[in-house]
Amino acid sequence: MDTSKPGSNHETGHVFYGRGRSRYLFGNRIRAFFAYLVLLFFVVFAVGPVLYLISPALRDSISLFDYPPKLIPDDPTLDNFRFLFDSTRYLSWALNTIIFAAGTTIISLFTNVLAGYAFARLQFPGRNILFFLVLSTLMVPVAAVLAPTYLLVREIGELPIIGRPFFGLDTYLGLILPCTVSPLGVFMMRQFISTLPVGLYEAARIDGASEWRILFKIVLPLIKPALVVLGIFVFMITWANFLWPLVAASGDDYRVLTVGIASLKGQFVTHWGVLAAASLMTLIPVTIVFLFFQKWFVQASMAGALKQ
Amino acid sequence: MAEVILRSLVKRFGSVPAVDNVSLQIPDGEFLVLLGPSGCGKSTILRLIAGLEDATSGEIVIDGDLVNFVDPTRRNLAMVFQNYALYPHMTVYKNVAFPLETAKMSRDSVKEAVSRVANMLEITEFLQRLPEQLSGGQRQRVALARAIVRQPKVFLMDEPLSNLDAKLRLQTRIELMSLHERLGITTLYVTHDQVEAMTMGQRIAVLHEGKLQQLGTPAEVYDVPANKFVATFMGAPPMNLIDGELQNNGTEWVFTREDYRLVIDKVQMNIDEDALLSSKGTVSLGVRPEDMRLASSESKGIPGVIRFLEPIGSDLFVTVDVGPHSLQVRLPPKTQVATGDRIEIEFDYLKAHIFNADEENLQLT
Repeated sequence: MDTSKPGSNHETGHVFYGRGRSRYLFGNRIRAFFAYLVLLFFVVFAVGPVLYLISPALRDSISLFDYPPKLIPDDPTLDNFRFLFDSTRYLSWALNTIIFAAGTTIISLFTNVLAGYAFARLQFPGRNILFFLVLSTLMVPVAAVLAPTYLLVREIGELPIIGRPFFGLDTYLGLILPCTVSPLGVFMMRQFISTLPVGLYEAARIDGASEWRILFKIVLPLIKPALVVLGIFVFMITWANFLWPLVAASGDDYRVLTVGIASLKGQFVTHWGVLAAASLMTLIPVTIVFLFFQKWFVQASMAGALKQ
Repeated sequence: MAEVILRSLVKRFGSVPAVDNVSLQIPDGEFLVLLGPSGCGKSTILRLIAGLEDATSGEIVIDGDLVNFVDPTRRNLAMVFQNYALYPHMTVYKNVAFPLETAKMSRDSVKEAVSRVANMLEITEFLQRLPEQLSGGQRQRVALARAIVRQPKVFLMDEPLSNLDAKLRLQTRIELMSLHERLGITTLYVTHDQVEAMTMGQRIAVLHEGKLQQLGTPAEVYDVPANKFVATFMGAPPMNLIDGELQNNGTEWVFTREDYRLVIDKVQMNIDEDALLSSKGTVSLGVRPEDMRLASSESKGIPGVIRFLEPIGSDLFVTVDVGPHSLQVRLPPKTQVATGDRIEIEFDYLKAHIFNADEENLQLT
């Protein structure tokens, strides 16, 4: 092996000599430096507020207003957390939120996949007009449909058999079902399913498979990354949803975390430390979900780039 | 196994006819090749038979049943796609077993059928692999295995060899033929490769612009092409066409052009008097390169100048300029000629064809 050449790389065959080589590396480092600088800027904006929650969560309400303000408390305390568990229904809120978010995620994945598959693969009259209508609902603000949806859920809840205790205000289904149809989800599933080669679908039909079998045996396994991404998406949005649970489940038994935390803000006194502690704990599950499925997230966004 | 009948089949995409009034009868067990350039409608015919497209009009009959309105899932056909369309997330075993599991066969009989077909196509050692871990030829065989495993009524193959390299294509061609011999399943095979068509087809249906141009055995299609299109599409290099006049000088019919005339022997060339009468005027004379030769010194041939020489070892192909035309002539490999030589070409008039102004061959079949 010839090792006499300066800076030769025997693995790749690249050879860098003297100044040329160091200039190459130097240029790379400068570029990387600026790239990290830009990234750091955004990280500060994204993570800063979350980290800042830690400090008030560990103080009592008196030291919170110290002047000059201190980032690290003199004697940190867990009183705020203790208060949450002892004096509020935090655990019940958390359980409700998990049911709300998980239920919405599972049901909406199902409905979005079905609609997306139909729009992507089935031929039926009015397909394009229907799809356009579905998409156009994206432009309707949530606030505009809030009152009608509230009334609808309330009225259905009063009906015999299908109403309470199964459906209506202050029921799980009443809370979940209105959130399970999302035009964005339908659009996303349609796009992903239409990127699958038509040949697979045709081959399966000739092999005698029904639409259901094609959906479950061919389509779903192939769009798994997209399902995970949509799932995380829906889960996070639902976890943070405030407006709908506020009107649809105001009763104590069905209150979710967002509504619960907001209720901690008193009319005359607000325990900022308790609020911070509650917010901090609320962030943990979503963060875990995201970290757990992160691999899939990247895979799905890469899928389009790597194929063909 | 079944007979396939197409009656006046039409398929339009918008106003464009992709398949234009095609009628075919494919007897049980035949290997029929649909041949034509891309866009001639051959794949569309296959997709119509499979049920992947709906016919605009006409009838498709498989095994005595009209299937126009039968869902593809219920037609019991098998199709091999150009890109194989293997399910990428399933192992080879799962791929081959898919149609059987769809038909709700018991696990044991699925296993048995898959291993039988896997043995036949020599893919047993890959059964647990994913399609992406296979070479092109192996994928091709898996696609075939998936097609034959459930013993379909009809086999549809859409250019199955076009993604393989030349050597593998030759080998697979032979395998496909022996497979057909063994199974005897009615097969429709789409290709644009005339060598595949000539070697594999029991009969060939030549298509152009959605219309059936000719249906016949490879020999018929090659020796007596129905029209100019078939004449030039079949054969490499294609048949030479020379424009001229068809005249009757009182006693006999003659093909003439400036410096050349050919007396037409109606009997030997198998041409009808009526056909000649209706074709008087501008016609084309067609001769295949292998039926041409250098004129011997005493006979009078078509004069021309050699422009190119293409020695391919077994033969010497010569491009000869004759007026505005250039003709391809196949000569013995060691013929002593050079570019720029003035030569005269003669040919076996029994092998010549006359095409009328409508481009149809006057010769009776």
